[in-house]
Amino acid sequence: MDEYTLPLPLITTLSKVFWDGCRENKLLYQHCKDCGRVIFFPKHLCPDCMGHNLEWLESQGKGRIDTFTVTYEGAPPAFMGVTPYCVAIIRMDEGYRMMSNIVECDFDELECEMPVEVAFVPVTEEITLPKFRPARG
Amino acid sequence: MESIRGKTAIVGIGEVPTGIYPERSFVEQAVAVSEAAILDAGIGKDEIDTVIPILAVANPIDNANMVCSWMVEEMGLGKTCKANFVCGSGGSSSANSLKTAMGLILTGLSKAVLVVHSDRLGTGLDMGAAIAQFAVVSMSQEYEIPYGFSQLALAGFLQQRYMYDTGTTERQIASVVETLRKWAALNPNALLRELRTAEEVLASKMISSPVRKRMMNKLADGASAFIVTSAERARELTDRPAYVLGVGSRCTNFTATEGQGDFYQNWTPAADDAYAMAGIGPADIDVAELYDAFPTFILISMELVGLCGKGEAGKFFEEGHAAPGGKLPVTTNGGMMAQGHTGAGGGVAVLVEAARQVMGKAGERQVPDVKYALDTASGGIGMDFHVGILGNEV
Ligand SMILES: [Zn+2]
Repeated sequence: MDEYTLPLPLITTLSKVFWDGCRENKLLYQHCKDCGRVIFFPKHLCPDCMGHNLEWLESQGKGRIDTFTVTYEGAPPAFMGVTPYCVAIIRMDEGYRMMSNIVECDFDELECEMPVEVAFVPVTEEITLPKFRPARG
Repeated sequence: MESIRGKTAIVGIGEVPTGIYPERSFVEQAVAVSEAAILDAGIGKDEIDTVIPILAVANPIDNANMVCSWMVEEMGLGKTCKANFVCGSGGSSSANSLKTAMGLILTGLSKAVLVVHSDRLGTGLDMGAAIAQFAVVSMSQEYEIPYGFSQLALAGFLQQRYMYDTGTTERQIASVVETLRKWAALNPNALLRELRTAEEVLASKMISSPVRKRMMNKLADGASAFIVTSAERARELTDRPAYVLGVGSRCTNFTATEGQGDFYQNWTPAADDAYAMAGIGPADIDVAELYDAFPTFILISMELVGLCGKGEAGKFFEEGHAAPGGKLPVTTNGGMMAQGHTGAGGGVAVLVEAARQVMGKAGERQVPDVKYALDTASGGIGMDFHVGILGNEV
């Protein structure tokens, strides 16, 4: 593949689990076994009960667009060459939110509450970004 | 606990014109506004025993030097000052520095506090560096930055969802800009003083949908300062101080992804705390100095602090009620969209403007008979929600 020039995610011992999952086309999130809280972004302890008894679960990869924007200008410097692009907040069916890009979609058709599904996009050997497209199923 | 309502007051304010001033150094601005605030208060500078500079972002060396008591030396406070420390919470640094000053005064640890902000976002950093800086701060490096998120995208998020939820039109949102320009035209310290109609705003190009170019704030150089002291001392200094009648706040999140839940609802409990302390309600407010950054921030907060009904803020602006002569003037300095965005100074500027209106010193844009002014502030990507109420009598 062409050399990827956009910013890559910061890899920490915690985020590595998530990004390793993405490389295998698995969208992971955390779940607190003590209080049941669904957790994302991944945390070192449960933000509700401060418990450390966290497990990773696999999402079905489906959700709805909570809100979105199509950036034409004023993008972060690294992204200036890839405008226009859509950034969105997605409310996942499992009850957490994540940020991503909406792809494979005519931007004029985007709207809040549109159902979307994950589309894994490998960008380097190590990193596969979980993007989203309008739900097909 | 005994109420702290009206036990402290802002007694002096200082500000230099906000704009593009390549020849005006960081410390020159800071000294000018500190001097102006001291003279405005009519207080002896040897009474200032605490200095709280507010976090500057354009140049980390300037900020580090403020940490290291630069202002204490420049203002010659070294014989009487007891403490200097920087307060930093982005756009809400204004509210947090005021609360810190109140605490020091109410406990007797301090007699008078100088809060001073200076920054040079207009000329102190180049445009590329400015965009780069705002592209990484207050965001998750693991889960947000890889998707091209930015502060501008955040403005798009908020406006998109707000329009979806409330049916507010793009023209109504553009009328916020029209209104702020009308205020800025009356503010000699504002950068963008020419009028701009809603139609002109709507004709500008799309930047990050649905935010258009003329809905964006403008980075600028600027500085402002204020002096806080006890109500007793305030009464000796002036017959019209700006008493701090109520404060309330919530601090909720770091990232926009977290905040995009129902976190903005926290404007309401923050305001409720401030109203309860002040012993008044939203109907009593004579002027609202609402923190802006982008038009939708004003509309969302205006509704949630109770100044108009849910989904009605856009109409309120479009009908001219927030403009000069309107029934509830809003952000009478022009805000960051018209006075100019000086970093954390955007919040300081609206707090200073609230004090200015209460003290009756707002010149051409003075709102008649201001008894109560409400001000708001928010830092990061909407990480916290601060509401203050100033009044001219206890
Ligand atoms: Zn838990």
